[in-house]
Amino acid sequence: MSYKKDYEEKDESGSSEKLVIAQLPERTILATGIRVGTVVKTKYMENFISRTRPDGLHIIDLDKILSRIDIAGRFIARSDIKRTVVCSAREYGKKPVEMFCSLTGAIPMIGRFMPGTFTNPLFAGHIDPELAIVTDPLIDAQVVEEASNIGVPVIAICDTDNVTSNTDLVIPGNNRGRRALAAIFWLLARIVLIHSGALSPDQQLDHSIEDFETKIIEE
Amino acid sequence: MSERISLPTCTSCNRPIAPGEKAVKFYCLNCGQVVIWRCEKCRKFSRDYKCINCGFIGP
Ligand SMILES: [Zn+2]
Ligand SMILES: [Zn+2]
Repeated sequence: MSYKKDYEEKDESGSSEKLVIAQLPERTILATGIRVGTVVKTKYMENFISRTRPDGLHIIDLDKILSRIDIAGRFIARSDIKRTVVCSAREYGKKPVEMFCSLTGAIPMIGRFMPGTFTNPLFAGHIDPELAIVTDPLIDAQVVEEASNIGVPVIAICDTDNVTSNTDLVIPGNNRGRRALAAIFWLLARIVLIHSGALSPDQQLDHSIEDFETKIIEE
Repeated sequence: MSERISLPTCTSCNRPIAPGEKAVKFYCLNCGQVVIWRCEKCRKFSRDYKCINCGFIGP
């Protein structure tokens, strides 16, 4: 993973003029490492990969990332946001998920997902969700499993090495990187707010991608 | 005289889905117009589904 992280910050080869999002150059998005995958490629993720770098890392197609974020955003905007649960057992997903939920009103589930949260009505922390969003279907496997048991749709951020079992919508992207996860949830929050009418497409969020980053605390 | 109950069918494999069977249904994530059904197997094996309205292919 540290091998990958070294490269993450260096993925800036894109047009600095092309605006991907209102006033946001492609280069800014790419600098987060959002499209940098892993050296492993599953058959499920093949279609989302644009090329393989000489160092073996598979690169995800940025247009496909943005298109899937848009589709996910539209779906989330149509769903009952108060019954939309967003999960991250991964540390780097913590702040992005919290920020996303504070802006949209979705329910954050950070850290270990207690078994029975969706499936056991007698459990004190029981939630009856309408939609589950996970940062990584492998790390958040318990969430995906329980959502599948109760017939709740799952949106998952999937890296090039993920298996997409029980996932109903794949958002391809780097789901390991600190800045990449911030960028994905920042983009998703923005799109959800646009599709729910809270933000106009040419308007910017009050928060930057950096505000969505889990900060590294040096000891 | 027997009445036919029309069961929903899996969007991927066309198999009828019985009530209480483990499956998922949702309105097409892209257009929101058509109900997509995925049976337990198709979901587990991540088989493609295609929206008949907008052509969106998931997952
Ligand atoms: Zn099926
Ligand atoms: Zn559709």
